[in-house]
Amino acid sequence: MSDQRIFSKYKAHEIRSELQQGNSKKHRASAIKRKNALKKIVVNLSMGFSSEMALLFPEILQYWHIDDDMEVKRICHHFLVAMAPTKSANFQEALRLVTEDFNSGNEPLRVLALRTLSSVPISTYFDECRKSVYMVLNKGSESEQLKKTALYAARKLTQMEDKQSGAIINFLHQIMENQKEKPGIRANALYVLYEIQETTKTLQTLTLDFDTCMDMLELLPALNEWDNSRLLDSLTGNYIPQNHSDAHYMIEKTIPQLQHANTSVVLNAFKFVIYLTNYVDFLMESLVKQLSASIISLLNKPPELEFLVLRNIILLLIGREKPILSVDVSYFFVEFNDPIYIKDTKLEILYLLAKEDNLSQILQELKEYATDIDIQMSRKAIRAVGNLAVKLERCVDECMNLLLELLDFEVEYIVQEIVSVFKNVLRRYPEKYEICLFKLIHFTDSVQEPESRGSMIWIITQYSDHLRNYLELFQSFTDNFLNEALEVQFSILSSVIKLFTRNPTPATEKLCIDILKCSTEKSDCPDLRDRAFMYWRLLSSAQQSQGSLIDMNAVREIVDGALPVIALNSHLDPQIVEELELNIGTIASIYLKPVGQVFRLNKPRRLPRSPAFNSNRDGIEVISENSRSHSSSLTEKSSGSRPRRKSSPVKKMEDYDRPAETINQLKLKKKTSSAAMNLTRKPSILARKLSMRKPFA
Amino acid sequence: MASCIYFCDNKGKTILSRRYRDDIPTSAIEKFPSLLLEAEHESSVVPPCLTHNGVQYMFIQHNDVYVLTMSRSLSINVAEVFSFLYKLVDVLAEYVKTVEEESIRDNFVIIYELLDEMLDYGIPQITETKMLKQYITQKSFKLIKSVKKSKNVVRPPSQLTQSVSWRPEGIVYKKNEAFLDVVESINMLISANGQVLRSEILGKVKVKSHLSGMPDLKLGLNDKGIFTSDDSSNKSDRSTGKNSNIELEDLKFHQCVRLSKFENEKIITFIPPDGDFELMNYRLSTPIKPLIWCDAKIQVHSQSRIEIHCRAKAQIKKKSSANNVEILIPVPEDADSPKFRYSHGSLKYVPEKSAILWKIKTFNGGKEYSFAAHLGLPSMTDVEVPKAKRPIQVKFQIPYFTTSGIQVRYLKVQEPKLQYQSYPWVRYITESGDDYTIRTA
Repeated sequence: MSDQRIFSKYKAHEIRSELQQGNSKKHRASAIKRKNALKKIVVNLSMGFSSEMALLFPEILQYWHIDDDMEVKRICHHFLVAMAPTKSANFQEALRLVTEDFNSGNEPLRVLALRTLSSVPISTYFDECRKSVYMVLNKGSESEQLKKTALYAARKLTQMEDKQSGAIINFLHQIMENQKEKPGIRANALYVLYEIQETTKTLQTLTLDFDTCMDMLELLPALNEWDNSRLLDSLTGNYIPQNHSDAHYMIEKTIPQLQHANTSVVLNAFKFVIYLTNYVDFLMESLVKQLSASIISLLNKPPELEFLVLRNIILLLIGREKPILSVDVSYFFVEFNDPIYIKDTKLEILYLLAKEDNLSQILQELKEYATDIDIQMSRKAIRAVGNLAVKLERCVDECMNLLLELLDFEVEYIVQEIVSVFKNVLRRYPEKYEICLFKLIHFTDSVQEPESRGSMIWIITQYSDHLRNYLELFQSFTDNFLNEALEVQFSILSSVIKLFTRNPTPATEKLCIDILKCSTEKSDCPDLRDRAFMYWRLLSSAQQSQGSLIDMNAVREIVDGALPVIALNSHLDPQIVEELELNIGTIASIYLKPVGQVFRLNKPRRLPRSPAFNSNRDGIEVISENSRSHSSSLTEKSSGSRPRRKSSPVKKMEDYDRPAETINQLKLKKKTSSAAMNLTRKPSILARKLSMRKPFA
Repeated sequence: MASCIYFCDNKGKTILSRRYRDDIPTSAIEKFPSLLLEAEHESSVVPPCLTHNGVQYMFIQHNDVYVLTMSRSLSINVAEVFSFLYKLVDVLAEYVKTVEEESIRDNFVIIYELLDEMLDYGIPQITETKMLKQYITQKSFKLIKSVKKSKNVVRPPSQLTQSVSWRPEGIVYKKNEAFLDVVESINMLISANGQVLRSEILGKVKVKSHLSGMPDLKLGLNDKGIFTSDDSSNKSDRSTGKNSNIELEDLKFHQCVRLSKFENEKIITFIPPDGDFELMNYRLSTPIKPLIWCDAKIQVHSQSRIEIHCRAKAQIKKKSSANNVEILIPVPEDADSPKFRYSHGSLKYVPEKSAILWKIKTFNGGKEYSFAAHLGLPSMTDVEVPKAKRPIQVKFQIPYFTTSGIQVRYLKVQEPKLQYQSYPWVRYITESGDDYTIRTA
């Protein structure tokens, strides 16, 4: 009978016999026994043995009535829902029981029954469900919970049967606009409409007008936190401001929600505000400040949420020339205890935030990470330094010096990474070789990885004019040509051709022929062979016939021409950014990919156009507080008169502006009680301390 | 939102599941263990989102369980999912103490009930434990009985339909009291040469309310933003240098606080939930000097010994003192035979953490203490392993003191019907945050 034994696999007949066995004995004991048997069914269902459990359908129907116990009912309904895909014949029988439950006076049971009705994909269930949904929603006196369930059931109905959905959608619109309806119901009606619209391709966007949107925002204080967050979510993209002042007004209405303790409310409010900023003519500096402050505070949430917030910050940084957030880099310094995915993201942000004025601070940090224990982290930091050098033209020297400094550590993986990075830096600034070239070639023997070997080969080839012993250096790579990784073989091949065309001496010629022979005769890779043959023919045609089209100079031009300058593109396509901004807080923003790219079923989201739309988003001016003009009129009126303090002994709320005398300050005592000293951050311990009889004596 | 919720053990095998929508095939959860394994292969910490076959796996880790939800749509609101999962774990913790594999198995019936109440069709609903406890209790209720005694019918309390979804009616206390705890945690990142790279104050105001009826509370703080409406008095304050008001950077409030009222009038008013809750938290990133300053000189003579000289100073007012100061200094993993010289506190070598732990019970303001340590290193080592640059971690508590200078000016309680006298109590404490670290060279 122990609980542990519930959690194991059972055969249907075992449970059946247990259920029946319970029947004969005393009432109480048998009830417990039967309940245990039912629990076993649930466990087995969640362990995935549904086909075995399906055999027990008749028993479930039989016991539906006997124990009039909520727990038993829950299990029975759970069973029905789990069995839904089987569409067994027993469902017709069950329908009677479910409707009976729905018509009972018991609130939770009715909710349960309605949920079951909506989750069994059989037409008789749908009919019953539709009837019930209309009944519940039309009746004013039903409880909020039941009505919400009815709304969600309506959503399921529209998914299951297309014919009726038009009528249901109209009905939902009515509920949403019904002023007398409870706030929670109206908000959820909107949400359901939004969800339907989101998943059905044929439907237009909701397009709410100013008054409806206003109405909905007025509901916010009356809703619970989750409804709050959903309401803001549903408004984004569905309300289209028609002029600038509407947009300003909505922003002001939404701003208070940024101070909600629930992260999802904050992020959704944030999303809505960001969406609205596409329709304003200017931005207040205070708004930028408030947005930044509230998003930064979210960084102290648990890692998963922090991750989400970081990704969203990245999004706003990459997307805009003039970022809408102003945040200090120091928030993104990596902590020792951060999980690796957060470290990664922070590093990315640091890279994006780097500008001339904060570069030294960021480089200092990156240096710290480069010598970190975590190899991945350290590599990425070095890579970031290299990219910064490419990105910020004026700060190359600083970055290069740091890289060279790191090279002195002579730690193997750092050397590998730095060599690879230098290739990019030198491609961007070919003239900067003096400071690094000679230091780098010291490490010719220690480069191991294909990428860094390839880079080293490239560097040596590129600056062969400045290296007296370049051939010697180069030969250290060619000696073992066949054992190299394919990409190294490729770079050796093209380098050897370059060296030969630049300086056709017997030594280079021999080397060149050796490599060509090796790659054409001994290599297994057709690509390498092809390329080698191509080079070979090119060279021989240039050398043999003097009158041919190609001479040595032309060959040099082909194999050793000027390289295009590389540039880093850290900006996403504006259209993608637009879509991502509408998806703040969704999984799309974690992957930084537009929804449609991964799932064709999802509608791509676009910013709806209106007269107030700003086509040039980076052109929005940020206005400082002093020049604040018309938008302040909305808040000013509220901070006018304040009632005076009343002298009545009973404290009234009106006298908030005067300090109350009754506040009990805790003074520092010479002997502090140990109870107070053990305060920790854990709320439970705090609570215990507080609940002591005389906590402050 | 979420299509389903799964509780999985640390290998990713299902303990308990609740499915809300049918759009995810049952085979999806069977892939979860192997996906976890794959991700673990790549890095030791698995990112909280995985995707496979068009199914999004989103999960958090808590003790030895994974709490997982899945969805098909990319436009799922992860912010809501993660906030909810954390809330779910919080709520479960109130029911079953510690949320772990065993307790989930033991209480799976009640967890099913909770999942039914907290999510409808995968959409989060009520998550206030106080409210849930009204009708989901540890015992199960008999319907037969309740029908007979119609008074005791268990049904969602009518409050759920009211605007105050977090407080039931009819609460009575003999003595009406409210306890406020202002807790500030200091996060600080200090470079090896003593420079403060980042510092921030994370404050919380926790409330324990023992108040009857439906009280309306009003909280006054010395925040600049809150008090700027009082322009005249504010100026005089500044000129006299007394009661200087501080400026909080960002405030976040519990859902009971009327946000629009705060935005417009800068007044914090609310009807509190019963019992404990976190009323608000705030953040300040003003540069502050380290409250507990610590300077460690670590000299490693490889293959022979390591020497540490450490000085710590309490840079706080002379009158106050820091309690339970703990300074954790990392040493190489293969260090042995520690020898210490110190004047204050207790010094211990903690091999399992590869660190030296210096504990000082009370550290009075302005005092400076130091210690010297000497540890041996093995003369034979393997190939040079790169040293982990673990930071020095500092922990402390300073009671009766807030770094930001925040003060509760008043807490007014008004119950329109009962009109009782109430007793607010306030307590302040500053402590080290999760990240009070000093990097080592």
